[in-house]
Formats: sequence, structure tokens, C-alpha cells
Amino acid sequence: MASVTQVSMVFDDDSSAAWNEMFSAPGSPRPIYERLFAELGRYQPAELRQRSEQLSHTFSERGVTFAHSGEERPFPLDVVPRLIGAMEWDHLSRGIGQRVHALEAFLADIYGEGRIFAEGVIPRSVVTSSPYFCRPAFAVDPPNGVRITVAGIDIVRDEIGNFRVLEDNVRIPSGVSYVIENRRAMTQTFASLFSDHRVHPVDSYPAHLFTALRAAAPPNQSDPVIVVLSPGVHNAAYFEHVLLARMMGVELVEGRDLLCRSNHVYMRTTNGERPVHVIYRRVDDDWLDPLQFLPDSTIGVAGLVNCARSGNVVISNGIGNGVADDKLVYTYVPEFIRFYLSEEPLIENVETYRLEDDDVRHEVLGSLASYVVKPVDSSGGKGIIIGPQADEKTLAKTAEAVTESPRNWIAQRTVSLSTHPTLVDDGVSPRHIDLRPFAVNDGEEVWVLPGGLTRVALGEGELVVNSSRGGGSKDTWVLTDESIPLSESRVIKQRLRNFNFSPRQDGNVGRGDQ
Amino acid sequence: MNETLSLTIRHHTGFTYDGLAKSSYNEARMTPITGASQEVRHARVTVQPVVPLSTHADYFGTIVTAFDIQEPHPKLEVEARSNVESRAGLVAPAISWRELRAPALVDFFSEYLFATERTKLAGDVLDPLAEWSQISDLHSCVDAVSAYVRGNVTYLPGATSVEATAQEAWDLGEGVCQDLTHVTIGLLRELGIPARYVSGYLFPLSDADVGEVVAGQSHAWIEYFSGAWTGMDPTNGIPETERHIIVGNGRDYDDVAPLKGVYQGAASSSLGVVVDMSRTH
Repeated sequence: MASVTQVSMVFDDDSSAAWNEMFSAPGSPRPIYERLFAELGRYQPAELRQRSEQLSHTFSERGVTFAHSGEERPFPLDVVPRLIGAMEWDHLSRGIGQRVHALEAFLADIYGEGRIFAEGVIPRSVVTSSPYFCRPAFAVDPPNGVRITVAGIDIVRDEIGNFRVLEDNVRIPSGVSYVIENRRAMTQTFASLFSDHRVHPVDSYPAHLFTALRAAAPPNQSDPVIVVLSPGVHNAAYFEHVLLARMMGVELVEGRDLLCRSNHVYMRTTNGERPVHVIYRRVDDDWLDPLQFLPDSTIGVAGLVNCARSGNVVISNGIGNGVADDKLVYTYVPEFIRFYLSEEPLIENVETYRLEDDDVRHEVLGSLASYVVKPVDSSGGKGIIIGPQADEKTLAKTAEAVTESPRNWIAQRTVSLSTHPTLVDDGVSPRHIDLRPFAVNDGEEVWVLPGGLTRVALGEGELVVNSSRGGGSKDTWVLTDESIPLSESRVIKQRLRNFNFSPRQDGNVGRGDQ
Repeated sequence: MNETLSLTIRHHTGFTYDGLAKSSYNEARMTPITGASQEVRHARVTVQPVVPLSTHADYFGTIVTAFDIQEPHPKLEVEARSNVESRAGLVAPAISWRELRAPALVDFFSEYLFATERTKLAGDVLDPLAEWSQISDLHSCVDAVSAYVRGNVTYLPGATSVEATAQEAWDLGEGVCQDLTHVTIGLLRELGIPARYVSGYLFPLSDADVGEVVAGQSHAWIEYFSGAWTGMDPTNGIPETERHIIVGNGRDYDDVAPLKGVYQGAASSSLGVVVDMSRTH
């Protein structure tokens, strides 16, 4: 059997309702994928598998691993890249930029004058009851106004091909090191694929981050000292902390390396103390400053929040950003965009139901098996219940927990995330994917790293893509031009135009599906 | 008509260490604040060992004095001196229950309606809730709650530690002003009456002469919302008077702890609290 036939047969065997990223119909690759499809078709399955082993070997060698169930594993990188066309990317990156601007305005507002409460856009109680609302962050104003230096906005594509925001991550989003390493490994292993495609590079990320951190520094610091603060080698993302510090050419420090004195921060070095002006911290709020938060934290720096309050140091991302990640607050983000920016959201949320409303809650609990239920403060896919895949006992326990504290949960329509051909044990087969683009705000503009981390759920039908749940990733290529026939580009433009801009009541039960 | 009282206050507290503390980071909330019922003429916090101090207002508007000490020190002493002109707050007629339950008001005061770990209550302590909610006048309702708390939690200095919760004090049947305040706040919030914790000082009833120093107290009481924030002292069963000097307020004690800190070094013990007060005219 010819390899082309064999590969194509498995590539497009997707009977689910999900949007297939590569194929518009069985045997018909979407225009942007035509070259990739043809190129990959030349490989024998055994050869693909060999390349795949090369990729994971490269990762093990470079130490690109993450801790899964207590052991260090390479983060599985799939051999089949995910492609995004220039026009779609343009839309997506503008939508992400818009979202980051709105979330910045929201955080500045709730830790300041609270205009949004006075205008009744979001109930004050939603914010004050958020486990992440951080009263010590009140009136800690960053000099250039940036609290979200880095955002990871999780995007999924729904059944009809529309991108939607699944969740916002503006505390300490991680994963960008995989984007950089994936590209590095892919260019080594599949050089020929790149020669056929014009792909936006991703290696300027550290430079953009560095520029943003410099711009965040206290005024009057012409040559600010920037450090990366890591919880240490046992943290799951330690590799990333090392990589970013090295690529930016700044010190990687841990809490014990820093010292606060009279509202200034110093780094202990072999040459004595050195002042520090910007801390790109990868330590959670709770552990960051034992004077303000958990008093027995040994990975934080006592006094840090008051140093930031006095303006002598900038903590990046800002403290208290977690309110914006709260999944109940997420349901209001489209309203934030309208309120702060006077714009319509470019990327919609997934339909989400607020369970404090009695009617909504009863409706959701009445057919819990059809929803995804999430704790409002979860991240990394923890605690998520996928209704259609949950057993009776889990559903009953979930219903009980929701009834007990409705504020702590949200329900979402079960979106069948788009699928992408992925090399698995049985061959190449569609698997669900999402996308975490990374946005960097330097105070002047929000720059979105072209592509981002495409995560893939390796189990068949599995909808949770997080690495903590055994997921893998794909190199994500944003093409610099469409390189597609005019007819098709018109179709895409049409679809972009058809992005649903109509206001939608997230609180209403009912499938808002178009 | 409104008697004013002019007071000089000295609040002294701190820690001693078994050995030396290598470094310590602290926040003192010991500065009275100017408001409707008092005017602060002068206030100053000093710290031993002498270190630079910085001040800011926190989320709740309380004045915070923050400082750190880097030299090894056997003890830490903090002293707050102030001069305050105080008068009893006016108690305006209360709004109705219906007005109190307006969604906009409930949302605005949400922080003072949620239970905290300190104030949450369960079990028999809640038995009279239905009865209290029949009392049409909010002030009378709060008085009934306060009388109930005072009748069931005996004021006994030293009965509980500073970490005690409302439920623990209720179960014990004894407590200090902080505990009676937490229990009262817990009950008022259950009733849907916004209530907050007030930290401050109480000038004792005395016939002391002007300038004569008397032992005052670090004290805690409540404010509840009845159309305006209204002060009430559940420990003494009286409204807030000119003898009550306000430092700050919050959801519970933890938001207004007079001195909190972390340090490196040997075990510590509190120096205790001394509050000296005298009338200035």
C-alpha cells in the first residue's frame, strides 16, 4: 500500500462532531495544510515514528521535561505540526490583545477606584468573594500601569470553526519554553518541512519579555536590574525559569537570594548586595511574601509587597491578578471589553453558566451529564468534571458540591474541541487540541507570540489537554502568508466576518450554539 | 449636646526573643484615624531598635506603619502616641429591613455579610435568629443580639488566645472583647446586617483629673450598617461613646491586628500590651 494512501486514510478518519483542523472533508486537506499533507505523505509510518523518537530524544537531552505523577518525563511533542493561517492569526492576536487590555483595565479598577462596581457591570460581591481577591494589592500601582506582563489566554476552536476563549491565565502562565523548544526540535528533525512553508519565528519571545520587564521598571532606573524568581528546582516549570533567565541574560534567583530592607530589594551575590528593580516572579501570591500571605512560606521574600507598594521594585506579573483568572469573573470579561474599551469582543467566551442564579443552577443540575463543570479557582485541568464522560457517582458528588457552594463552580457547554491528526500508537489519528498563545504587554502594546502552545490530549476522545493530565504538544506554525487560492481566502474572510459579534447572556441556560 | 473628650494615648507593645531575632518584618496598625466621631490631632509611632518607618493606608483605610529590622535584636518594642478629640457618634434612625435587603445594598456591603473563618457560627448559637428578625427596629435588634452574646459569653480576660474563633468562644462560654465582637458580628451577618470589626481603645469611666494617667485598654467592638455605620460595644452592652477611640476596621481581627510580623530567629513571647490614657482638658 502506498504510504500516501495509508497516511491519508488514518489522517482524516474523524467521525466526531469536532472541527478537524487539517481536513475540510475526508481526503480534502484545508488549503493551508496542502503542502504539509503532501510532504508528510511521503513518510512511511515507521519513518514518522523514528522522527518522533528523535524529537523526544532531543527533549530528554535538553532537559525539557515536566513532573508527572512525581516523575520527570519529556513533554511529548507530536510530529505533526499545527498550522494557523496569517489571516486567522491576525484576528486571533487582535482578539487576545483586546482581552489583555480589558483585563488590565479591570485589575487597575478593582485595586483602585472600583468604577466598574459603581456602574454595575459586575457585582462587587463576585470580586470580594473571589479566593484570589488580594486586599494587600490594593493601591499597589505599577509605574507603567502593567500588571499583566505575560498572559496565557487559552483558546479552543468549536464545532463550527470559531475560536473561543476557554480561560484566562494572568498569574504565572507557563509553557512558553515548550513553544521555543518545540520549534528548535522540529527545525532539527524536519528541516525540509520548513523549507516549504514560511513560518513566523518564535525565538524573539525572550527579547520581548525582557523589553517589557525593562519598561516596567521604576522610573529613574536607567539600567534596571531584572531577575527571574523561581520556587526552585522542584517546581514543575523549573526548566522554563532557567531557560527564560538564560535567554534574557538575567539572574535566576530563589527567595533566599533576595532581601528586603527599608522597602528596597537586594540580591545577595558573592560580591555583596546588589539592588533589584524588577522581579519576574514564578512564585504564586500565597507564597510570595510571608509578611502578607502564608507566614511559613520559605520560598518567598518577606517584605516584598511593601517594597512594591513604595515603588522601588516591580513585581511582575502583579499580585492579585488571580481575580481575573477566577472562572466566575471570566463570564464577565466580554462585558469588561465593552465597558473599558467600548469594543465588541473579537473572540467569544465558551457558553458559561453562573450557578449562583437559582434557575440556572436547577437547569444545569437537571442535566449535569451534558455540561463541563469547573471549580472557579482551578488551573491545569484540576478538578474539572466532563459531564458526558463522568460516572454517576462523580456526577452526584459534583451536584452536591455545587449545591453546597455555587459561587465556587461554573458550568460550561461541553465543547467538542477541534481535532488534529496526531501520531499515536495505532498510527496517525485525530486528537483534541487547544491553544495557549502568550501575550506580552510592555505598556505600549500587547505583543502576541505568533502561535503559542498547542496542547493535544493523547487519549482518544479525551478533552482535557493539560500536561498535568498526560497531554502532549505540537509545534504551532503561524504562516506569514496565506499561500492559498483566492477562492479559499474569500471563504476564510467570510468566516471571519461571521464571527458572532452579537451580545450573549452568559448567565442564560440554553445552548448558544450557532 | 455632644460631649467631647480630649485624650492622650500611649500604646506600647512588642516581643522579646529567646536569644536574638536576626531579621524581622512588621506591620503596626496602631494609629487612630480621623472620622465622624473623632479627630486625630497628633499621632506618632516609634520603634526600638530605631529603623526607618513607612506608612500607608490599607484596603480598609487603616493607617499601617511598616518596618523591618536587619540587625540582630533581643526585643522589639513599638509605641504609638496620639492625641485625639473624640465625641459620641450620633445614632440616626435605622433604615427598614426591606431597605437593608435591597440587592444593591447587599452587594455593596458583601464583604461585611460573608462569614470569615473567624466569625462563622453554626449550631444552637443560631437558634434565636428567626426571633430577632421579627424585631422591626434594627437598633433594637442589634441590642438584642448583643445582650444574648453578653449573656452567654462571659467576659473573662485571658479566657481565649488571640487566635480564637467566634465558634470556639461560644462553645467555651467565655472570651475577651475580641471574641464577643466576633460572635456578635457572626450573628449580625447571619441576619443580613452588615457588620464589621473595630479595633481601638477604651478610656475607662473614671473621675481622673486632667493629665492624670489611667490604664486604658486595647479594645474591640462592632459597627453595623443601619443606613450609616453605627458603633456598638457588645462587651459592655453600650453604644460607641466618646470614650471609644477608633484605630481601624475590617472584616475581623485579622484585618486590623495591631502588630503582625515575621522574623528569623529564636522563639518569641509577647511583651504584652500597655495602654496609658489621660485627659488633656
